[in-house]
Amino acid sequence: MAKAMLVDVSKCIGCRSCQVACKQWHDLPAVSTKQEGTYENPPELSASTWTKIEFKEFGEDGTFRWLFRKHQCMHCTEASCVEVCPTGAVAHHDEFVEINQEWCIGCGYCVTACPFGAVHREPPKGTARKCVFCIDRVTNGLEPACAKACPTGAIQFGERADLVEAAHRRVQTLIAEGYSNAVLYGENELGGLGYLYVLTDRPSVFNLPENPEVATSMVSAQWFSGIGTAVLLAAVSFWLFFKRKKRIEAIQQSKTEGGAEE
Amino acid sequence: MINWGAPIWIYLWLAGMAGGAYFVAFLDDLFTRGGSRQLVRWATVLGIPLAVIGVILLVIDLGHPIRFWHLLVAFRVLSPMSLGSWILLVWVGIAVIMTILWWSEQPLALMASEGTVRSARRATRFLSWFELIFSVLVMAYTGVLLATSNLPLWAGTVLLPSLFVASAASTGVALLIITSVTANTIDKGELKLAIGLVKMRFGLTKLKSAINLLFNPTEWTIPRQTVARLAEVDVGVILVEIAALIGYAIWLGNSAMAGAGEALKVVTTGALAAPFWVGVVLLAMLIPLVLDVTSRAKDIETRAFQRAIVTSSVCVILGGLILRAVIVIGGQM
Ligand code: SF4
Ligand code: SF4
Repeated sequence: MAKAMLVDVSKCIGCRSCQVACKQWHDLPAVSTKQEGTYENPPELSASTWTKIEFKEFGEDGTFRWLFRKHQCMHCTEASCVEVCPTGAVAHHDEFVEINQEWCIGCGYCVTACPFGAVHREPPKGTARKCVFCIDRVTNGLEPACAKACPTGAIQFGERADLVEAAHRRVQTLIAEGYSNAVLYGENELGGLGYLYVLTDRPSVFNLPENPEVATSMVSAQWFSGIGTAVLLAAVSFWLFFKRKKRIEAIQQSKTEGGAEE
Repeated sequence: MINWGAPIWIYLWLAGMAGGAYFVAFLDDLFTRGGSRQLVRWATVLGIPLAVIGVILLVIDLGHPIRFWHLLVAFRVLSPMSLGSWILLVWVGIAVIMTILWWSEQPLALMASEGTVRSARRATRFLSWFELIFSVLVMAYTGVLLATSNLPLWAGTVLLPSLFVASAASTGVALLIITSVTANTIDKGELKLAIGLVKMRFGLTKLKSAINLLFNPTEWTIPRQTVARLAEVDVGVILVEIAALIGYAIWLGNSAMAGAGEALKVVTTGALAAPFWVGVVLLAMLIPLVLDVTSRAKDIETRAFQRAIVTSSVCVILGGLILRAVIVIGGQM
């Protein structure tokens, strides 16, 4: 029975307990950052920051509004990282996407392929690292550290089917409360995400791609484009070659004709 | 922190140039019915160090270089990096075998029967066709590698491989032109002097005959006509490249992928505008195009002609490097 996480952004207060809990449980080093005029910190996910709250700030006619969204690996069913990894180091273990740290060569391909910018490759380890869904805790009957730490219940861990149902109900409530764009994200995206989101607005407002695509979705077309161009180039140079030959023949002919006149 | 840096763009440039040079040389030889076998030889031999340096850069860039062999115990057909590692391996492998076969032609002719010599030639001929297919795959792979991602500048269209293949062929032609002109203009006297110096320095008495055996002039000197033909092919290739670039930009501007428009702006009007317009558009495409077209009026025996096409080739090669840099860096901005 598939497990999943549900993030309800309408309940998130931006306290970042989940960020801290993640660093603590996985022994991840702190990163030094600069004050950039926002409470959002650190500015981005990295090999040593596997989850963080993204802050969106809106100021409208004297009012100020904040949107928060927890960001981490989505544990996609159709996972770009799994598809492109040249060594097979990233793979599904049940519904969780895990990177084998002993097998990863640190090529960084998954980093470019992930539609959510959730995986990173940096020194000192050099391997690609990301949220592991606290697989050590989950397989021992505990909930992930971030869900455990969340004081408002904005992060819930449970059976996917139950969470989807609860999320749909919550979206209906939000719509009724006036959040007319409220949606459930992750139910069907990329074959279903391991992280479900109740959003109070369109996904793009929360920096989520509206129609995420697996990185290899166009791979045959891409090969075709490259090989097709090579064929075109061959045809062009073939054509040029014959034009040139004709020209040289013409020059030679005019020379011999000129010779005959003399 | 940028994920893929200089080693990657230099590598894509070197691999593309190596594949492109072989591709063009082989076709030229095919269309002239064996008139450019010397060119094919140079392309093959030069391709080996280019590809090897490229692979070394790639391995250095890994987070765990020592684990590079993990690439070679996996075969994952959807992963262009996995497929590309194998393509490159086969490509270099064939090049090495072909080179060895060529170099053993003369010793074979002295020692073995005519039948053996002929079958060695047939084997090389057969391999050279395989190498053609793999050179196309090498050129395409350098683009597909980037295009199979979720970064809009790389994956927002399917025309990046097209652009990279055209650029690979163009840098390949340029490499061949420079090689031809250099190989032909080296003063024989100077060469003798150089060999003499090396002989004195290292006491190698057999060096001259060894060089003659490996690079005997009839098989390795490139005819003048070939150089002129290459300069013309370059025009066609650059025109295709320009078309690919325009198609790529228009498509990207209208791509459904989120962030594609912004990605295009980074390159055309944003942080990378200068290297793009000067390095890619001018250096890789327009300047060489003008030089190649105007050089047609010149006599191919003259220095002026050679100077024009060598300048054009240097521009193409530098421009090709800048193109890879702009795309690789821009995609991650
Ligand atoms: S979010 Fe990115 S890293 Fe996580 S499973 Fe999906 S593609 Fe892989
Ligand atoms: S960095 Fe590691 S996990 Fe990511 S694609 Fe490369 S080998 Fe696979």
